[in-house]
Amino acid sequence: MPEPIVRFTPTNLAGFVVTLAATSPARLADELHKVFAGANRYFAGEVAVLDFREVTEWPTHVDWAGIAALMRRIGLQPVGVRGVPEPFHTALARLNLALLDAISPEYGAQPTPHATVAVAPERTALPAATPEATQAAPNDSPRSASRIIDRPVRSGQQIHHPDGDVILMNGVNPGGEVIAGGHIICWGPLSGRAIAGAYGLETARIFAHRFQPELVAIAGIFKTFEQGVPPVLAGKPVQVRLEPTPETAEMRLQFDILEL
Amino acid sequence: MRIVVVTSGKGGVGKTTTSAAFATGLALRGYKTAVIDFDVGLRNLDLIMGCERRVVYDFVNVIQGDAKLHQALIKDKRVESLYILPASQTKDKEALTETGVEAVMDELQQMGFDYVVCDSPAGIEHGALMAMMFADEAIVVTNPEVSSVRDSDRILGLLQSKTRRAIEGREPIKEHLLITRYNPKRVEEGEMLSYKDILELLRVPLIGVIPESEGVLHASNQGEPVILIKEDKAAQAYDDVVGRFLGENRPLRFTTYEKPGLLKRLLGGG
Ligand SMILES: Nc1ncnc2c1ncn2[C@@H]1O[C@H](COP(=O)(O)OP(=O)(O)O)[C@@H](O)[C@H]1O
Ligand SMILES: [Mg+2]
Repeated sequence: MPEPIVRFTPTNLAGFVVTLAATSPARLADELHKVFAGANRYFAGEVAVLDFREVTEWPTHVDWAGIAALMRRIGLQPVGVRGVPEPFHTALARLNLALLDAISPEYGAQPTPHATVAVAPERTALPAATPEATQAAPNDSPRSASRIIDRPVRSGQQIHHPDGDVILMNGVNPGGEVIAGGHIICWGPLSGRAIAGAYGLETARIFAHRFQPELVAIAGIFKTFEQGVPPVLAGKPVQVRLEPTPETAEMRLQFDILEL
Repeated sequence: MRIVVVTSGKGGVGKTTTSAAFATGLALRGYKTAVIDFDVGLRNLDLIMGCERRVVYDFVNVIQGDAKLHQALIKDKRVESLYILPASQTKDKEALTETGVEAVMDELQQMGFDYVVCDSPAGIEHGALMAMMFADEAIVVTNPEVSSVRDSDRILGLLQSKTRRAIEGREPIKEHLLITRYNPKRVEEGEMLSYKDILELLRVPLIGVIPESEGVLHASNQGEPVILIKEDKAAQAYDDVVGRFLGENRPLRFTTYEKPGLLKRLLGGG
């Protein structure tokens, strides 16, 4: 008997549940732009389930194709939805989006960051700059979850390291971008964008030897510096972390000047 | 054989001027050197080298098999062991195929060349990528202004990701920063970035600073690489660049502004 040419294997493919509390693609695009500050392809092609259970007012018409396109633009592959009322089901079927309310109730739970990052492939514009990192060591050999980048991260380059910390030995230039699942430690000027705790790790921090970024973000809470970095911080050694506000306990970014 | 790309991202910063001067400087020291114009459509190098009337075949003719490499290479009239491979003016930019460029590089190697200098077009498109593809070293030409520095930063990123050395995971391209059209007076007055500012922004080893000089325009009008005009300060700065490239220790010159002294002012100089 030859091997069958079709086989079915169960998988635990990790992905994201994206909770959307609105249905207008324009509003969602606006919000996403704020969250990701214009970074295109933030994700690495993971599957996504779109959860609409928080939508309170449903319009008569929803631009499902627009929403799907928006997800693909940030690098997610939408495969299904939940919490969508009956009248829209035929429209969803036309786009091959599955109705997942009935199946797999565990989809409602956020995947742990670890399960998610395990499937996220490395994406970086710098393959040769870090031959140590790209010539991936076999799985059973000892290795660090941190990634060290010796060269400057330059305009147009992106370092994406979902599995841990990123240590930059030569700074990030304007227009360069670093996305880390964990902390970002930057020796030299941080003049580009630094996104730490990118998969929701609220304890992640950013350390910069010379702080002059275009944007910093931790666990999705971000700040841009279009008007320039405040003079008290500019060019100084700075730590950025998340802290709850005393009044509302909402998380906000905290900037501390470090003694060197 | 070492392949050196002269590149920048931005146009009009002095790549062709540098390619001509640098290649001539290497040849003056006895190295068999070819300088190739990758700027298909613009074709500046043969004008600056003063050989435009002797162009019969060009780079694209060679790649497309219409001419042999030795037919297209133009031997310089002034400097022994210097050859120019001109670009075509008309053909489409995609005509520079990767396999075609590679074959030309291989043949230059077989012909015993020591250095190949690739004069890159502006931008980060096909022509610029082809010019850097096979390079062992890169001279990144930057002017003391923010937009030029930013474009150079982009190019430096591409050098480390889009070239053969990068793709094959070999030792990265050796980078050199060359600052051209430097005007110490305007730097002092705060109208231009200083070379130290640029070095701090780009963090690449500096191979030289070429001052703004009227001699450059003069030389190019005469079809002569500026490095041959010995009394010109840009020529002297380019000679330093060649020296440093070959491992000599040459202190920086022409980077500070000296206010004209009283005598000079009285005599109306400066
Ligand atoms: N050091 C310099 N001093 C004065 N003019 C210069 C200098 N270097 C280049 N130029 C001028 O700048 C212009 C652009 O130079 P070119 O070498 O053609 O630049 P690119 O090849 O980068 O487009 C030319 O007119 C050239 O004469
Ligand atoms: Mg040119």
